[in-house]
Order: sequence, then C-alpha cells, then structure tokens
Amino acid sequence: MIGGFLDYSPGDSFLHRLNPLAKIFLSLMLCVSCFVTDSLYFCLFMILLDLAMAAWAGISGRAMAMLEALVKLSALLFLIQVFFIREGNVILLLPMDIRVTDKGALFSLLMALRLIGATMPLALMLSITRMNDLSNVLVGTLGIPYKYAFSLTTAIRFIPVFTAAMAGIIEAQTARGVSFDTRNIFTKIGLIFPLCVPLLVTSVRKIEGAAISAELRGFNLRKRESGYKNYPIRAADIGVFLFAVTVAVLGVIVP
Amino acid sequence: MILFDNVSYSAGGTKIIKGVSFEIRRGDFTALIGANGAGKSTLARLCNGLLKPTSGTVRTGGFDTASAKTSRIAKFTGFLFQDPDRQICKNSVRDEIRFSLECVMEDRDEIEMRCERAIREFSFDGEREPFTMSRGERQRLVLASVLAAEPELLILDEPTTGLDYRECMYIMDCISAINRKGATVLMISHDMEIVQDFAKDAMVLNDGMLLAHGRTKEIIRDRELLARASLLPPQITDLALVLGEGYESVVTVGDMVSAVKERSGSKR
Amino acid sequence: MIRISGLSFRYRGGSEEALKEIDLTVRRGDFLGIIGSSGAGKTTLLHAINGIVPHHFRGEFYGSVEVDGSDTVENRPEDLARKVGSVRQDFESQMVSSVVEDEILFGLENFSVPRDDIEHRIADALDKTGIANLRERNIATLSGGQKQKVAIAAIIALMPEILILDEPTGELDPKSSRQIFRLLKELNEKHGITVVVVEQKIMLLCEFADSLAVMDRGRIILEGPVREVLKSSREMESAGVNCPRVVTLADRLREERLYDGPAPVSISEAEAMVRSITG
Repeated sequence: MIGGFLDYSPGDSFLHRLNPLAKIFLSLMLCVSCFVTDSLYFCLFMILLDLAMAAWAGISGRAMAMLEALVKLSALLFLIQVFFIREGNVILLLPMDIRVTDKGALFSLLMALRLIGATMPLALMLSITRMNDLSNVLVGTLGIPYKYAFSLTTAIRFIPVFTAAMAGIIEAQTARGVSFDTRNIFTKIGLIFPLCVPLLVTSVRKIEGAAISAELRGFNLRKRESGYKNYPIRAADIGVFLFAVTVAVLGVIVP
Repeated sequence: MILFDNVSYSAGGTKIIKGVSFEIRRGDFTALIGANGAGKSTLARLCNGLLKPTSGTVRTGGFDTASAKTSRIAKFTGFLFQDPDRQICKNSVRDEIRFSLECVMEDRDEIEMRCERAIREFSFDGEREPFTMSRGERQRLVLASVLAAEPELLILDEPTTGLDYRECMYIMDCISAINRKGATVLMISHDMEIVQDFAKDAMVLNDGMLLAHGRTKEIIRDRELLARASLLPPQITDLALVLGEGYESVVTVGDMVSAVKERSGSKR
Repeated sequence: MIRISGLSFRYRGGSEEALKEIDLTVRRGDFLGIIGSSGAGKTTLLHAINGIVPHHFRGEFYGSVEVDGSDTVENRPEDLARKVGSVRQDFESQMVSSVVEDEILFGLENFSVPRDDIEHRIADALDKTGIANLRERNIATLSGGQKQKVAIAAIIALMPEILILDEPTGELDPKSSRQIFRLLKELNEKHGITVVVVEQKIMLLCEFADSLAVMDRGRIILEGPVREVLKSSREMESAGVNCPRVVTLADRLREERLYDGPAPVSISEAEAMVRSITG
C-alpha cells in the first residue's frame, strides 16, 4: 500500500542531489537513445544502466518491481507484433499459417526492449525527484507558467490516489459478489468498465477539493519569482549533461 | 460462522495480522475495536476472502477462504465499507439495488420483488440518482442493497463514520434488526457508545494481535485493556468506574439514575 | 473578529437556501465549535467565512460577513487567507507536495514571504504543531493523524489570526482525534489564534471548545458558552445532535429533582455531581 511507483523515495545519493534539470535531461536522453537505436545490445545495456543507477540511488527494489511489470507488458507487445511480421526466414510454423520469422522476432524483441528502456528512466527519475523541485525548475529555469507546472505535478501526485480509489472500488464490487476473480480477460474488462462511473465521481470531488485548498493557500497570488529554493548548476550537473548527450549520440551511431 | 485458526497476514514484508484465532458463532453481534493501524480492516477483509491469509486458515460459513471464490462467499455475506462511493456504480437507486441482487441470485421475479421491497422499506425514490444524495443517504442506499440480499453474515467497516447522529442511529437500528432476525454481524467501530449499545460481544485488536474476545459489558469495564488499544471506556461506564463501589452493574444512563437515587435515599 | 449579520445564501441552482438569516459574532481568542446534522449548512458557513462563498461557489448572497473589518464579498479568498487559515477534512486532496517541508513551503511562497523569514516560519510552524521530527518525511508514509497535523502546520506557517477547520477528525480514531483537539487548544491558548471548528464528535467540543453553535436546516438554533447550550439538550436532539451521556444524566437527575447545578462536561465534573447528591 505504502509507496506507489511514482512516489518520491527520499535519499541522499549523488543522483538525488543532482539539479532536477539534470535529472530530467538525463532521463529524457536515456529514453531517446533507446528509441533511436537499432541495436539490441545497446537497449539491453541501457536497461542494465538504469538498474545500476537505481541501485546507486538505493531504489533497487522498486526498479526490479517496475522491470517486472514492464517485462510483462512488453511480452504482450512482443507476442502481438511477432505474429504480424511475415517477412524474413520462417523459424517457427504454427497451424493456420501462423508463422514466426527471424526478422519479425528480432524486430519485436527490439520493440519490447525499447519500451522497457524508454519507460524506466522516466519513472526512476520521478522516484528520486521531489514534485516541488520538478515544478520549481520547470517554472524558474524553463519559464513554463506555474499553472501548467502545477497541473502536471498535481496530475502525477494524483495517480497513486486514483489507483488506490480504483483498488478500493474493485474491492467493494468483489465483496458484493462481482466475479473479478474470473480468468477470462474480456469478462474482466467488461466488469471493470462500468466502475469508471464511481471513479470519475470520486475524482471530480477530490480535484474540486484540491482546487479550493490551493486557492485558500494563495495559489492565485503566486508569481514566477515566488520560488524559495535555488537550483544552482554544479560541476556534477554539467558532467551529467555531457554524459546524457554522449549516451544519446551513442544510441545513434552504435550499429 | 467465522473461524480463525492461527491466522497471520503480511503485505509488502510487514506482518499486519499476527497469529489470530477466534470463533464467531451464528447470530453473534461482535464489535471489532482498536486504534487505527491495529489491523481491523485487514481482519475484516480476511473474513470474506477479499484477502487470503499468509498462514493459518479462515473458514467462513464452512468455506475455506483460501480456496473458495470471493464471489461464492459473497452470496451469503454482506460487506459495508466506510465510503459508500466505492460501491455505488449505477445511475438510479433501483438499478443499484437490483445490481447488488443480481450479483448473488438468479431468480428474476425474486430479484424484482426484493428490490421493490427494499425501496419501500427504506422509503427511497427508486428513480433518484445516487450521486445527488447526501453522504448519509448514500450510506443508507448501500446498506439497503446489501440487506436486500438477506445475508447470513454482515461485515461492517466503520459504517457510521462521517455520519451525523440521526443517520448513525438509523443505520444502527437497521443492523440491529437484521441481527435479531438471525444474521451474524461483525462490526468495526471507533464509537464506544455504539459498541456498548449494540454489540453483545467485542474483540480488541492491537498491533495485529487479539488482546481480548468476550462480552462487551466486561471488556468496556477493563480500563487497562482498553488503554493498551488506545481506547477509553464509554462515558457512563467511565463514570461508574470512577465512582467505584456500588456502581459495578451500571451500564446505561437509566442504571446510573437508579443507582444515584438509591444512594441518595439511603443518605436521607 | 468575525461578524456575520443577516446572512442568507442559496447555491446557484439550489432549491432551498443553504444558510438562513445567520447572525454570529466570534471574538478574538474564541474557540467556537459548530455542530449539526448533515446538510445543516455547517460547511457553507465556513465557506462564507473564508470567502469560498460567494467567490468560488456562486449564488444568491444576502447580509454581510466581516472578518477583522474586511467584507468577504469585496475581498478575494486569497486575500482573506492572510487572516483566515482553512483546514479541510480530506487531507489527501489538500496536500500539494510529496514531502512535509515542501507542503509548508507552498503557502509561504505563494504569499511571497520574504526569503529571510521562510526558514524560521517553517521551523516555527513545525514546532507549534509538534511535528518537527517529520520535516523530511514523505507525506505518503504518515498516519492520518500526522497528515492532518501537517495540513494544520502548513496553515499555521501563514500566521493566520483565525483558524477554521471542517471536521478535522472525520477520518481519525479517538486517540488521534484528541491529539488534534489538544493541538487546537494549545494554538488557541498559547498563541492567541481564534479557532472555529465544525465537528461531529460532541464530546471533543465539550471538552475543548469555549462556545458552541448548533445548526439545523440552515439556521443557528443555539449558540453560546458550551455549558449554556448543553442546558437545551432537547433542542439539540431534535436538531439531530446527540449530547454527551453525562449531560443526559444531569438532565435525568434534574427531572428526578436530585440535582440543580450546571451540566457537567467531563467525567470528573460528573463525578463531583454524583458525589454532591450521594454525599
């Protein structure tokens, strides 16, 4: 229950202490490099790099859980893709002319790894960056209007709240006898769909409450220069910027 | 009706329920009390199979909850949550009650009959949209839809939190009535006065362990036991304890008046 | 401090008035508890004090609400917020940060508190609410009672003269509820903050509040010092509010002509009452 995937995980590691801007840039570049590369090995290497960084920041446990979830998702993606690509040499022929080709398998594997490699750095970055720091650099350094930055961070902050609300709704429906414990995925989707109504009602109520609270705490008075904290760029941050660019360039040139 | 045999439950590496054993018999009205975080909600969810024990066994209505489907247990078990909005998912009072019945039974005529009866008994407007009703009314709607199925076992997770006194009494009277008709009730509550007035038995849970299970009237007089679970006796019991000798059997305001009368009489 | 006169309010699209001819004066340093059945207008009344009504929720507004001399209709909620701090029941949705310290910083930044004052204001707010040890904690890992204290600290940091709270213990157990009220009492007595709190738990109000207002269907039907109001236990019950049982006991003893004093509000007072009868 405690600590969703995107919750801030406090710490004092090198990565925690980086300028938020450096963290955002690094994670974006890691993400981009996975998208541009055509090399399986490079993708694998990037995933290992993500895990190494997670260990450095002391959030290995969370990274592994995240990896597990992503592996499941990308396995599904792999299966869907692999049956649709029919070019290349057939390596497995199934009944009803379903075939798996070498080219299809490689391409699908790359897609799956890309998905993992591109998602992890972003999620990990959110785990080691305080929401306020994130919105402060977006506003103070990048000049994004505070309202947008606040909406973004609020949306991220509400994800675990909504996840918990959804879990609570499913629990309540299970308790009244709706068979969510069915194995048929389509039946399950059919059962979950109507539950969007209570979720929506709860969400609207919570967002309204959040808006009133923010208003009462002077949200509308906030100016760009209101931020208290400074985010100086240190040598380490510049190092991280350079490292991030290098990784992105490698992503393009590694065959 | 509910049998816990050395049950433990852990989530995310934390042990929430630690080796709990107890039995709740058919027709009992048992209150589950303890501070927030003691594991009360977890224990309630273990009873109907929403959660499965990590070790030990839970048998509810004869079913082992580890192997029985939750939807099977739901056929004879009603569960009322603190927040009614988790359950309500239909656009009218009638649809909501009907949906509850459809989850646990098949006979169309029976469903329609019970649905209309529930609307009548709770004096609802069947066409009303649940999300335009007040919190107390929504809690009543959820209770009505749970009770329409005539459950043999009713589990309540803080059913009166967030309600005003009038709404609270309405809900408790309904629960009390179904208990008199033979249903077994397990209720989590923080309100010691409600526990005193309605629950014949009480279980005290603290830090995942069962500190006591017995008659409510005895448990609420055990100040030390309650203190270990961060609770206080209900007011009149508290007063009787402070007054000490001669007030041992005082439970209600009426008892207290008679006791005081008797003693003032002897004084004169 | 707060002067409400002839206030009536109907929400836009509402069929009935949510507030009807409310007159209420709260003096500086008061600790006022408001109780009433659901739909009695308690939350609307608080919203009329912090300006959410009529600025955020619009509708027909008659009469006037003055907070320390400023009319709430002419001042925006964010300007009134310099004097009136508001805490809501649902702490999940009022939090804006993941870390305690940032949560307190939010309001300070918004009100452009001078840079040099900020550190001391944060430390002071944490100190007054007794949660200095939670400063670096992730809010998601706190208990309900702790979260509510963080919400109060975030408001205290803005140094309001009035604190208004809407069922601050609604989701808390008895122990944490008492802690919150003890905190409110301390803020009220030690730091002179005027407190207006809507609360369903009558026992807490009896123990901690100085005065009590009972609302029923948009009106204030009883208002005054706690002991005075408790004398009208029948009116309270017809408004859907229960009295503490020691008060009911005092009523019954009065009916039996055994007792003629004020209503007790605590166990020790009830004990004194009984002992005065039995000798």
